[in-house]
Amino acid sequence: MVASTSTVATLELLRWIPLIPLCACAINIFFGRALGHRTAGVLASAAVGVSLALALYVFWLLPATGIFHDLLYTWIESGSFRVNLSFQVDALTAIMLLVVTGIGFLIHIYSLGYMAHDDGKVRFFIYLNLFIFFMLLLVMGDNLLLLFVGWEGVGLCSYLLVGFWYHDAKNTIAGNKAFIVNRIGDLGFILGIFLLVTELGRQGIWTLDFAELPKHVSLLTPATITLITLLLFVGAVGKSAQIPLFVWLPDAMAGPTPVSALIHAATMVTAGVYMTARLHFLFAPAPYTLSIIAIIGAATAFFAATVAIAQNDIKKVLAYSTVSQLGYMFLAVGIGAFSAAIFHLFTHAFFKACLFLGSGSVIHALDGEQDMRKMGGLRSYLPKTYWTYVIATLAIAGVPLTAGFFSKDLILWQAFSHGSYALWLVGVVTAGLTAFYMFRQLFMVFHGSSRVEDHVKPHIHESPAVMTVPLIVLAIGSIFTGWLGAPEYLWGSLWDRWVQPVFGGAHGAEHGPVTTEILVTLVTVAIVAIGIYLAYARYARTGTRVVPAEAAAGLYRVLLNSYWIDEFYDRIAVRPFTRVSQWLAQIFDPLVIDGLVNGVAKVARGFSLIWREAQTGNVQHYLIGFLAATLALLIYYLRQL
Amino acid sequence: MDASLIPLLPGAQVLLTALVVMLLDLFIDEHERGLLAWISLLGLALCGAEAILLWGSSEGTFGDTLLLDNFALFFTQIFIAVAALTVLSSMRYVRETGIHEGEFYSLILFATTGMIVMAAANDLMVFFLGLETMSVAVYVLTGMWRSSARSSEAAMKYFLMGAFATGFLLYGIALIYGATGSTNLNQISAYLLEPQGQWPPYLFVGGLLLLVGFGFKVGAVPFHFWIPDVYEGAPTPVTGFMAVAVKAAAFAAWARILMHELSPLDSDWALPLRVLAIATMTIGNLLAISQPSVKRMLAYSSIAHAGYLLIGIVAGEEWGSTSLLFYLATYAPATFGAFAVITLLTEQDKPKEDYGHFAGLGFKRPFVAMAMSLFMLSLAGFPPLAGFTGKFHIFRSAIIAGHTDLAIIGVLNSLLSVIYYLRVIVMMYMNEGGVKGKSFIESPYLYTAVGLAAAATIYLGVLPMRTLEWSRSAFSSLF
Amino acid sequence: MNGAQVGFFILAGLLIVSSLWVVFQRNVVHSAMALVAALFLVAILFLTLNAPMVGVLQILVYAGAIMVLFLFVIMFLNPIGLEQRRRLWWGFGALAGLLLAGALVPVLTNGDAPRDPVVATELFGGPEELARSLFTDFVLPFEIASILLLVAIVGAVVLAKREP
Repeated sequence: MVASTSTVATLELLRWIPLIPLCACAINIFFGRALGHRTAGVLASAAVGVSLALALYVFWLLPATGIFHDLLYTWIESGSFRVNLSFQVDALTAIMLLVVTGIGFLIHIYSLGYMAHDDGKVRFFIYLNLFIFFMLLLVMGDNLLLLFVGWEGVGLCSYLLVGFWYHDAKNTIAGNKAFIVNRIGDLGFILGIFLLVTELGRQGIWTLDFAELPKHVSLLTPATITLITLLLFVGAVGKSAQIPLFVWLPDAMAGPTPVSALIHAATMVTAGVYMTARLHFLFAPAPYTLSIIAIIGAATAFFAATVAIAQNDIKKVLAYSTVSQLGYMFLAVGIGAFSAAIFHLFTHAFFKACLFLGSGSVIHALDGEQDMRKMGGLRSYLPKTYWTYVIATLAIAGVPLTAGFFSKDLILWQAFSHGSYALWLVGVVTAGLTAFYMFRQLFMVFHGSSRVEDHVKPHIHESPAVMTVPLIVLAIGSIFTGWLGAPEYLWGSLWDRWVQPVFGGAHGAEHGPVTTEILVTLVTVAIVAIGIYLAYARYARTGTRVVPAEAAAGLYRVLLNSYWIDEFYDRIAVRPFTRVSQWLAQIFDPLVIDGLVNGVAKVARGFSLIWREAQTGNVQHYLIGFLAATLALLIYYLRQL
Repeated sequence: MDASLIPLLPGAQVLLTALVVMLLDLFIDEHERGLLAWISLLGLALCGAEAILLWGSSEGTFGDTLLLDNFALFFTQIFIAVAALTVLSSMRYVRETGIHEGEFYSLILFATTGMIVMAAANDLMVFFLGLETMSVAVYVLTGMWRSSARSSEAAMKYFLMGAFATGFLLYGIALIYGATGSTNLNQISAYLLEPQGQWPPYLFVGGLLLLVGFGFKVGAVPFHFWIPDVYEGAPTPVTGFMAVAVKAAAFAAWARILMHELSPLDSDWALPLRVLAIATMTIGNLLAISQPSVKRMLAYSSIAHAGYLLIGIVAGEEWGSTSLLFYLATYAPATFGAFAVITLLTEQDKPKEDYGHFAGLGFKRPFVAMAMSLFMLSLAGFPPLAGFTGKFHIFRSAIIAGHTDLAIIGVLNSLLSVIYYLRVIVMMYMNEGGVKGKSFIESPYLYTAVGLAAAATIYLGVLPMRTLEWSRSAFSSLF
Repeated sequence: MNGAQVGFFILAGLLIVSSLWVVFQRNVVHSAMALVAALFLVAILFLTLNAPMVGVLQILVYAGAIMVLFLFVIMFLNPIGLEQRRRLWWGFGALAGLLLAGALVPVLTNGDAPRDPVVATELFGGPEELARSLFTDFVLPFEIASILLLVAIVGAVVLAKREP
């Protein structure tokens, strides 16, 4: 359906888009220290800049339904199964390319200022460039395996960057947590790929190419497609921090703020959404999976929004807000509105990156302070940061005519016209919550009386231009990117015309009666307005009470600790697993051998004895194990005869 | 009887080098002994060149007791590459630890000769003698660090258990000889392929005892007990040599003898092999997690990798064997490289091999740490490194052969393994302290070995096709 | 049962008894002497199987040279302190041995004869026949065995020589 209508052209330029950041990364690895901190950073930023320029050029060249393709070489080939190292760009990829290189470039520039005083600057830019490379691999790969390579690669970079400030053990632990939780998701992802390969292989089709796969989906039974898509979605749940695997994202805020903006808001965490959109031909015919995705998305959106209300850490609020917005995207995917999901991904990348970078600017100004209870009244100190923050907050809250308004409204309208009123209702309530917690943050940080600690106060300063210019660019994007996808009753959607061909038969924007659509929008706007008003009434004038976690009561405490999900996982998963491993190493292995040797009666003489005996590495014990296994094999054989 | 000497060439080349090194050792001064390493490298390089020139030949000699085919040459290349890396990474190490250089290098070469014979053997007697030549040399190498009690203990243990396993192997060979009337694999397989009523039951027992012997040599659970103790005690370059070359040699013989020539017996050991594969992967990985020493962790990790390789054995002919060969090639540089990095940490003949000793290595020796990260990620099966392409083919061959469950267990296991491989990277980059920068073994040759292994790890991940093609043609040369 | 078989069973019985003696005897010298007896009995078995050359070598090499070395080492080291005997070990060993025997005996006795049995003629194990096959069919293994022995010698010297 896609391949039949689109024209494929070869464009050898494509390979340079990911390769240039990789080259810069390699140069910095080998000569970074020699070049000096400044040059290394500029080099890294320039490389991403070149990639951005190339991406823009490709975008300009790309015809509406066309696909550019670039084959480097055949990576893996065995029999009829072939995996190429080749890139492709269609409308969907082109958008992702612009997000990754565009926002990536701005954040590189910003980092030049933000990381100026950090000793590990070279290392930072090496990781950052490597991340851009893997992310581009992820979005540009023309087959599932290449996507997987990028998928794993960005996970690794994310892990390295979260733990970047390794001096604090907390950061290292957060990095580990991110990595391991992601691996749980990856397990599903890999198994999904395996199942897809096996099932198609059984029909004699050995391929993982995105261009080939849609032709063969009809060979699979509905049950198989459901299972495959569910497994793939598990991967998306891990990477895009949905319930129940979202726990790593708030902790990942331990990384430097530009990293949070780039990886944990704009790009990597949206990889799950991108993957489902890329494989829409698999997901669309799996209604059961879609409804699960929609429910998980909606639940995550609501749940994370409630948690965000109670957070006092400026970045934690944004982290939970990201989780919540990703929930919106999956909600859209779940009702088959892939185009709307990608649209929200696109606008979200701008305003969330702007918010993160703005928070970075605040943190930078306050010498690393992240607690909003120790901020307030910063409006006059940081005017540029303030105004960009206001714009981005308006956008995320969904105030009319901002980017967030259009994209969120599109999702909600799709849910409504799709007939999923419950999902719509959750979405609308979440929109109100979003407005509330974002304005709460805005007021707590920039308005009211200053609660900044005295020793910090004299140093408060606006960030340098290298940091504020990206903020301004992103703030502009936070308004105007949304205008691309305006509803029909305004000036119509450029977006749908651009992206819709990619999704072919999948759901497009559904247009019901215009009056209903406007009415539905008005309901949302009203609820958003209430949310903003409540935040204003509660936080704008007086500043907020300082509530320590222990003293807080009831619902507030539940929210503050994000429903104790972390503790819950620790109890039911982490600790038992650790214990089993220890048990195996200390008790089981020696016991199997010694148990045979000493007999049950002697076991009572205490583990310590056994432990010590096994520690000596007694050869006889080993040989007994050896002999017992041989005997078992022999007896197995004799039963066969 | 035909007695073309060409098939003997690679083995004879290494043997000759060993003899030259051993004899020359008597006539040169203490401080000139470094020369011996260069002679060893030269001999290995010549052997490598011969193996390349002979690629594609298919010739038997001495009544087809020894075959020179691509299969033998593929493994020969692995053996000599690993032997050369071992020599490179030991050049400083042997001085620091007071190991006698002449004997050390010549024993490495003797062991390599034995391995080459094993991979080329087409006769159970020849195979057995090759195996023993390799084993005896490696027993001695294990115990060569005389001032370390751990080393002597490891050698003693290895020897005792190896002798025990040899007994099983030899008895198995005797039973097979008794049943088929020959030790030549051509004749044995001709016997097995004849349409006939029933094989004598002790033929199965013979095959089973071979299986046990091989299981010991590759370190399959539950024949693995020797591995952690011996790997930990042996001088580190020798451990790398053992973990890669010895294991590869055992798998070479396993593939040629059990998988290929005795394949009519396959149906009888399908289930035990599956159990072995699952147990080996799972136990290896689970126990690796709780090891405090990186060297010991790598020992358990090598057990786990033997488990993945067993999946290739279970998957059987064609894809299984091809991916087995390819997996060995991808496993080799990462494992050897990791041991070479541990070698680097040896300080004044005191081993420093706990996780804590790796702390901050990322800042003290950025290149070494980066190489080590590559090795760990490759072993964990991280794309696009060698370990990933290797695992991909192994698991895929299992799926094609209808063992999807094994593939899934393998995937689960490789996810589990991330926990302990990652810990090394965490220590290197996210902690400080550890071994002082001054006390590393600063040898350009050791760095070269690490660098070569790292380059191979990337190369086999990014451009695997050529090696895969070689594995395939090596496998098809068995027919 | 013919005379040869009766002879075989008597020899085999003696062999088992003397082998057990090696294991159970607490005195090391006695144990070594029992081993000499066992090796002799094996040599006689070889002789009855028309393999005089192997039989003679068995006596010369094992019962002769190697056992003398054994005894020499034993007297040299004069081991006094013996490890405490542990019943469970014995129990397990006995169990394993019995299981092994139980598994192998039916397999080995029940089998069909191989279809190409190696004919044990009068000359089968004589020096001439042995030399012929050693230097024709098995010349390669023969040569490799020499490498193996060389490695073993080098190894023994390396591990045993006094450190400077």
